[in-house]
Amino acid sequence: MALYLATRTGSAVSREAAAVRACASAIVASTERSIALFGAKSAVIDRIHELAAECEADGWDGDDGVALAQDVVDRAVSFIRALPDDAPLPEVAPEPDGSISFDWTAARTRMFSVSVGATNRLAYAWIDGTDRGHAVARFDGDMVPARVLGGIRELMNGRAAALRVA
Amino acid sequence: MAEPLPSGLPESIADEEDLARVLRSSGHYSSTCVKPAAFLPAKDGMTSVIRHGADPVDDLWRAAEAVLGGAIRHGAAICKAAVIRAERLDVLAHEPPPRHANIVGWPTNADPELQKAQQKELALAIASQSMLITVS
Repeated sequence: MALYLATRTGSAVSREAAAVRACASAIVASTERSIALFGAKSAVIDRIHELAAECEADGWDGDDGVALAQDVVDRAVSFIRALPDDAPLPEVAPEPDGSISFDWTAARTRMFSVSVGATNRLAYAWIDGTDRGHAVARFDGDMVPARVLGGIRELMNGRAAALRVA
Repeated sequence: MAEPLPSGLPESIADEEDLARVLRSSGHYSSTCVKPAAFLPAKDGMTSVIRHGADPVDDLWRAAEAVLGGAIRHGAAICKAAVIRAERLDVLAHEPPPRHANIVGWPTNADPELQKAQQKELALAIASQSMLITVS
C-alpha cells in the first residue's frame, strides 16, 4: 500500500521525489504483472499495457485515432487498482479520442461502459434491456465513484431494477 | 431520380441495408460481442462504415481494404441502417472509396465528458444490436 501511494502524483517536485516515485512505479508495475500475487486484476492491467503498446501512435485505427497517452494509461491502471476485490472485472478497449474504455458485459443487451480519459472525470453509460442512460462522475484516483460501482454491480448481478443516477 | 453512385449503389441508404463497421483493434470485440468503442466517432464527428448488403464476406474484406488502405486484421460489426437511425443518428453515402458511408449526427455538448457519455450510450445500443464477423 505504501508503495502504491508512492506512485501517485503528489505535491513533491524534487528530483529525489521524482526518483522515488519512478522506482515505486517500476516495482508496482513489475509486481502487479505477477498473476500469482495479484490474480485477475493483474491480467486486466497487463491488457491495458498491451493495448497502450498497440495504440502508441496517432492513427492506430487507420483513421485519426489518438494515441493512448501515459497519463491515461496510469489513470486506467489506478481505476482497476481501486476496484474492490469482489467487484467484477472489465474488458478493455481503446477509444478513438485516446481514452480507455472498460466494459462489463452481462449479456449482449446488458452492458456497462466507463471511459477513462485525459481528465479525472469519467464518462459512463449503460444499457440494460430497454433501460439505458449515461452520466459523468469524478474519479479521485483512490476510490471508484459509488454511482459507477453500484451500476456495475447492479448490472452484473442481474437485478431487474433500473440503474438510477443520483 | 438521383444518379447511382460510382459503386452502382443508390445514394440513399435504405433502412434494411447492412452496414459493416471494420474493427480496428483487438480490444473492439470479444469472443461473443462487439464493444461500444468500435462505433464511437472519429475526430471529425463521424463513424466510417461500408455498405455491405448481401455480398459474400470476402467482398466485404476487399471493400474494407480499399477504404482503409491495408489488410483487415480483426473483423467487422454488422448492423442494419435502421439500427443507426433508431438512435437518432443517420448514415450517409460518401464515395469514393466505393461503398463507403458515414454515421453522422452524434450528439455534441460543451462539456466534453458529458458529450462522450452521450455518445457512449448510443454506441452501446448499436453494438448490442450488431453481429460480429471475424477474419478467418
